[in-house]
Amino acid sequence: MNKSMSYKIFSTFNIVFMGLLLVICLYPFLYMFALSFSSTNAVLAGKVFLYPIEFHLGTYKTIFEYPNFFIAYRNTIFYTVVGTFISLLMMISFAYPLSKTWLKGRNIVMKFVIFSMFFSGGLIPNFLIVSWLGLTDTVFAMLLPFAISQFNLIILMNFVKNLPGSIEEAAIIDGMSYFGILIKIIVPLSKPAIATISLYTAVFFWNDWFYGMIYMSSAQRYPVMLFLRNIMSGASIRGAASGSGSEDKTTIYATLKSGAIILTTVPIIILYPFLQRYFITGLTLGSVKG
Amino acid sequence: MKQGSEGEIQKAGAKNRLVAGKRGSAGKYWQLYGLMLFPVIYFIIFKYVPMFGNILAFRKHKPGLSPFGTEWTGLRYFEMFLKDPSFWRAFLNTFILAITNLIVNFTIPIVFALLLNELTALRYKKIIQTVTYMPRFVSTVVVISMLTEILSPTSGIVNRLLADLYGMDPIFFANEPRYFRILYILTDTWQFTGWTAVIYLAAITSIEKQLYEAAMIDGANRWQQTRFITLPSILSTIMVMFIMKMGYLLGLGFEKVLLLYTPKISVVSDIIDTFVYRVGLVQSNYSYSTAVGLFGGVVGLILVVSANKISKSLTGESLY
Repeated sequence: MNKSMSYKIFSTFNIVFMGLLLVICLYPFLYMFALSFSSTNAVLAGKVFLYPIEFHLGTYKTIFEYPNFFIAYRNTIFYTVVGTFISLLMMISFAYPLSKTWLKGRNIVMKFVIFSMFFSGGLIPNFLIVSWLGLTDTVFAMLLPFAISQFNLIILMNFVKNLPGSIEEAAIIDGMSYFGILIKIIVPLSKPAIATISLYTAVFFWNDWFYGMIYMSSAQRYPVMLFLRNIMSGASIRGAASGSGSEDKTTIYATLKSGAIILTTVPIIILYPFLQRYFITGLTLGSVKG
Repeated sequence: MKQGSEGEIQKAGAKNRLVAGKRGSAGKYWQLYGLMLFPVIYFIIFKYVPMFGNILAFRKHKPGLSPFGTEWTGLRYFEMFLKDPSFWRAFLNTFILAITNLIVNFTIPIVFALLLNELTALRYKKIIQTVTYMPRFVSTVVVISMLTEILSPTSGIVNRLLADLYGMDPIFFANEPRYFRILYILTDTWQFTGWTAVIYLAAITSIEKQLYEAAMIDGANRWQQTRFITLPSILSTIMVMFIMKMGYLLGLGFEKVLLLYTPKISVVSDIIDTFVYRVGLVQSNYSYSTAVGLFGGVVGLILVVSANKISKSLTGESLY
């Protein structure tokens, strides 16, 4: 291979540039980490850039003493675990019959599913229906409306559709029921797709703050991201929902905010390296098509 | 599966063939239909009933009464918002933000994928890829919280550097209308570049290696290979992605705009979605904001459908 001088120069620049992007992606987390373990004085004096100055744990102690922090954290774990579980049950049991393109009525159902991706109730009708159903301020408002994501459903359906049909045919000849096939054959074979969509779903539930804000009125049921958002906006109650006065935002120390950021993001940062291979497969698994 | 049911029909004998055939399909498939039951009910209650709830745009809402309104009002709420200057401001802001965001954040992932593809050290490439798409999984709240921390006028690192290096007075970036669009777009770049690039990278890796070998024999340098092999090969992917983005043009990060909200920047940051949120959920003008939301939804639907039509005729690829 003959590589020109200019290409070598480009390559060097490229390697450095990519390294720079790496830093840009990671630095915000590193900075938050450094702030959260520094003393308030060091932060206010503007000494913290990369690593903790005057290392101390007071920030985390203060956050843990917030009465609602652990409640909110526990709520988020609950919403994530139960929400993902309900989602998976619904999506698996829907994706399997939808993957049978020859099934009578399947195409009509599929058309309804796809149409609802492009046109929806919108914010207000959804909100009013949820409160009309009496779900407001109950955990169900956080779990049920989001049970099926059409996008994830289609990923799973395409995966099931592309499984070799011969195993299923053999099972049918052996007299196995469709329930049995789904549980004993389809689910084990679809593990990569199920792993992917459960991760997407779990991340959705973990990251939500907006639906927590509009559907929950008691702080006892707030998800942790809403707790973080309230710390950030300096509002501890729901009253200032539209984003409170910007002046308030400086009244809570930067250390506290960064500590809360680290605590709410840490599960994703820790789990990410282990899970990221599934995220990629999710993107390459079947395109969004009916 | 067909073979299975045919076998059964034959076993059932000639006389009962028709009956068995009917009972066979209904009897066999009831489990499949049964599996659909709860999901279909879910779709009706949580997708289609709210969709029908858009009827509120034409009806008056009374607190505590039906979510579908109490009496017909015709197009009153539409006339109201069409005469409302703050609606038109939100409308204009939506398009400006959406289009500038599209231009910037559509191009960058392509360039990033091409550059990433030039890295020869596989391990390094893998690390860059893994780290750059991690921000996709971070909550919008966290992204905006980190942004406001970094840009904070009192303790933020950017203002400290500006003061130390240039002796500048602190700038309250998050509260200056002229920085809002830049901040919105750059946080999108930070959060989604690596993620979007994965699709282009997949397209690049599926290009046949022989094409490059042949080009090298012909004396093409790396840039010429990129220009005449890589780019044309991924053009259809680029087209499809562009059309999809066009279709979802109005689907801006509503939560992000809401989180960035300050009264001062609302002149540029108020978009249709935040307008609906503010008028509807904050001021409880349900019918009025449903009308605005419905308008936005219909514009969005028209965009998706026409983008898909164009895609079908140009590339043969379509979303549905």
